[in-house]
Amino acid sequence: MTAAALFQSILASLPEIVVVAGACILLILGQLVRKGQGHFLVSASVAIVLIAALGTLMLAGEVRPAYTGMFIADRFAGFFKGVFYLATILTFLLSRKYTEIEKIGSSEYYVMLLFALSGMMIMASATDLLSIYVGLELMALSTYVLTGFLRRERRSNEASLKYVILGGVSTGIFLYGVSLVYGITGTTQLDGMAAAVTGDPLDPGLLLAVVFIVAGLVFKVGAVPFHMWVPDVYEGAPTTITAFMSVAPKAAGFAVILRVFLNPLVAASDAWIIVAVIAVATMALGSFVALVQDNFKRLLAYSSIAHAGFALFGVVAGGADGIASVMLYLLIYAFMNLGIFAAVIMMRNGDFSGEVIEDYAGLAKSHPGLALLMLLYLFSLAGIPPTAGFFAKFYVLVALVERGFVMLAVIAVLLSAVAAYFYIRIVMVIYMREPEPEGAFDPALTPSVRATLAITAAGTIGIGLFPAWFLRLAQHSVFGG
Amino acid sequence: MAFPLLSLIVFMPAAGAAVLMLLRNDDQVRWTALGVTVLDFALCIVMLAGFDTTTHEMQFTETRPWVPALGITYALGIDGISALFVFLTALLGWICVLASWVAIDRKVKEFMVSLLVMQTLMLGVFCALDLFLFYVFWEAMLIPMYVIIGVWGGDGRVYAAFKFFLYTLAGSLLFLIGVIVLYFHGGETFDILALTEQDLPFGVQSWLFFAFLIAFAVKVPMVPVHTWLPDAHVQAPTAGSIVLAAVLLKMGAYGFLRFSLSMLPEASMHYSTLMLALSALAIVYGGLLALAQDDLKKLVAYSSISHMGFVTLGIFTLNLRGLEGGILQMFNHGVTTGALFLFVGLIYERTHTRSIADYGGLMKAAPVYTAFLALFTLSSMALPGTNSFVGELLVLSGAFAANLAAGAAAVLGALLGAAYLLGMYRKVALGPASVGARFKIRDVNARELAAILPLAVFVLWVGLYPKPFLNIIGPSVRHLLTQVHSYGGGQ
Repeated sequence: MTAAALFQSILASLPEIVVVAGACILLILGQLVRKGQGHFLVSASVAIVLIAALGTLMLAGEVRPAYTGMFIADRFAGFFKGVFYLATILTFLLSRKYTEIEKIGSSEYYVMLLFALSGMMIMASATDLLSIYVGLELMALSTYVLTGFLRRERRSNEASLKYVILGGVSTGIFLYGVSLVYGITGTTQLDGMAAAVTGDPLDPGLLLAVVFIVAGLVFKVGAVPFHMWVPDVYEGAPTTITAFMSVAPKAAGFAVILRVFLNPLVAASDAWIIVAVIAVATMALGSFVALVQDNFKRLLAYSSIAHAGFALFGVVAGGADGIASVMLYLLIYAFMNLGIFAAVIMMRNGDFSGEVIEDYAGLAKSHPGLALLMLLYLFSLAGIPPTAGFFAKFYVLVALVERGFVMLAVIAVLLSAVAAYFYIRIVMVIYMREPEPEGAFDPALTPSVRATLAITAAGTIGIGLFPAWFLRLAQHSVFGG
Repeated sequence: MAFPLLSLIVFMPAAGAAVLMLLRNDDQVRWTALGVTVLDFALCIVMLAGFDTTTHEMQFTETRPWVPALGITYALGIDGISALFVFLTALLGWICVLASWVAIDRKVKEFMVSLLVMQTLMLGVFCALDLFLFYVFWEAMLIPMYVIIGVWGGDGRVYAAFKFFLYTLAGSLLFLIGVIVLYFHGGETFDILALTEQDLPFGVQSWLFFAFLIAFAVKVPMVPVHTWLPDAHVQAPTAGSIVLAAVLLKMGAYGFLRFSLSMLPEASMHYSTLMLALSALAIVYGGLLALAQDDLKKLVAYSSISHMGFVTLGIFTLNLRGLEGGILQMFNHGVTTGALFLFVGLIYERTHTRSIADYGGLMKAAPVYTAFLALFTLSSMALPGTNSFVGELLVLSGAFAANLAAGAAAVLGALLGAAYLLGMYRKVALGPASVGARFKIRDVNARELAAILPLAVFVLWVGLYPKPFLNIIGPSVRHLLTQVHSYGGGQ
């Protein structure tokens, strides 16, 4: 590697370097910050992410391969990094008050989030199964720790332990698949793999390798049959971390899935059938099990499983529109899901946990504005126009029908009708129940939470009404372009 | 570009809703809502004054790119058929505000906001010339309607709201898939006019016809997917019932006209006998159910099913008289059934009972009320001189030309209509004044009269001189028929 190539590589990975270096500095500075100085940590973390975002924006102009084919800074990665920045910044904003209430506001919390962010960024840019693995593990290890951050709560510890064990197994499976690929093709680079295969794409060894890699990846997005960790981890983790996990690592998982799956080698192996089956099963399980949940966080966990299933339909469709539809879906999902989580997080105040759906009975009476926002997010999650959630689903369906998968599209919409039921059930509780006489709501409406609500609401309604710009952005960010 | 009159008409209620959010006083809210809807109605009259009744072309068209990457445009425009329903919607807008003046006594602001948003979406459905835009309006309507039924409804409102929501959602999602399939078959455009020019293979048309049928049949509603309607109507507040009966149900029939007939002519011809049979079934079955009701609102709700059966019957006769009658009957049903729901609401405000058995001799306590009730009851059973007579006569003559059995069933339905409507009127208005002893009943006041009178005017106007209305829809209907028959292989 020449000096010039090294310089180019460093330049291409500058945002990642900023985030990692920033996290390390914050780790040291955090020890010097006195208790109760949480706002310093939040602003410093947000500043780091913004600098990284600026870097990504400056690099967006051209495709920059780096580190001898391990890494690439292209528009595709840039789009996903944008989603990660958005989710991370909103999580920081939500964490300020919540960490104080839960007494977990140490600097490690913010540092771990930044490390998770850098892991996801590497995943989005990775073009080699090994660099994918590095990013995946960096992200996963950070989220394991964050899940267990409520040290005094049994639920949180249990969730963390479950997550570590199952996550470890899935990583092992993924690595095994990688080793098989290496054995067959002699390379782990995504581009090199396809070129190396000369024989039958339906080689059983290759198929086995693909199945293992798929299994490792769908674990991260919480798809059936590797979804079992999701409800427990989502319920046990601090709610801010749940919000983060339901959006960002999931998007990172999809970034890798798209890169791996649309590789000609995998595309030739009929792996889409596997993904189609997984998508249908994931959506069905998420939608039907969510129907009977009483706990808000658990319900949102199953809802996120269902949404992962819907996004997987976009992967099945493939092609430029299929990829763009998944990307747009994830961006929109980030807005609406963080919005509804923001509402749940701010309910956590004093003794009020806000985790049970019935807790929200009659919210519309005392807090009409907040109730209206929740209605907006919930209808968007259900996919009712004119919200962004509708356009996200619509575009996935367009991609499906374009490729001739009309039956899959019909299944997808019927299952989303099932899913609509549990979202509007929450609307019903908020609007149509009488509030408990003594249980007055006291949401923690701090300025940073207000800002989060404003950003997410603007995204949810704005993309719904004016999707053209965002659609073009996603279509232009499909790799190759 | 010309002045965007249609956009103004469509979005004015929504803008009004935004203003309402800032108000604090309930009376201010009511007057503002009334002002906005009346102004919207006035604009609508202006529009009709400039409407050219000699052409079937879309008028007042506006086109702006919306999502160019997918060929989605923001396109509005009206022809004779939609003009009639834009007018009906605008008319009922302020009548609904008047009907909820005192009936809605809590969360007045939220109610009026929902009502006005609803108004925008309904107008949008009738004006949209882009399928995607149409779908957005069509589906977004679920949100305010769900809230209107679920928050301000009767005791079983939550169940009714859910049922309404899920039925309609499930139906329209299949429609959405149909729309996307049509998009790819029709050359990647959502332009409604361009799509009507397509000549799709029969196999595709058949699939799409049934995908559309499910969505529209739920909305109309046709038997056997009608079961959400009685629940929704009975539980909804008066204004909600009026909107549901007068406008929402029309959307299903409008969908048949705008999409099934003109885009899928071959399939429409091929399955017209099936549609006639379903319509005849709805007419008779709805009538029989109405005959057995003791609840006033339920009776009117089931009569709606029967009357909407006449509409779909007329549409699928696929001849001029049937179609004209069906469309006129859509308008008439909006006026008459809207009025009947208003009357049920008015009397319910006074007595808080809807059971027919509780009433009797209302004539003495409220003579003006009963006189108008008589008018609308007679209109509903299509007495000559009232609006429905003209519509039903056209439908029947079309039906007999198309299919003898369907015509015979429709006549039977008309007889049933006379039976349950006259029975209802006899029990409520005539006889000994059992009700006066239990309730203090006052007659209609000026505000209520203001809501009733315009509807009464239209009952008689269409009944005695239907020509202006037939003139408006005439060219569009004839154009529609040529489309159906030229692509569908002649008559």
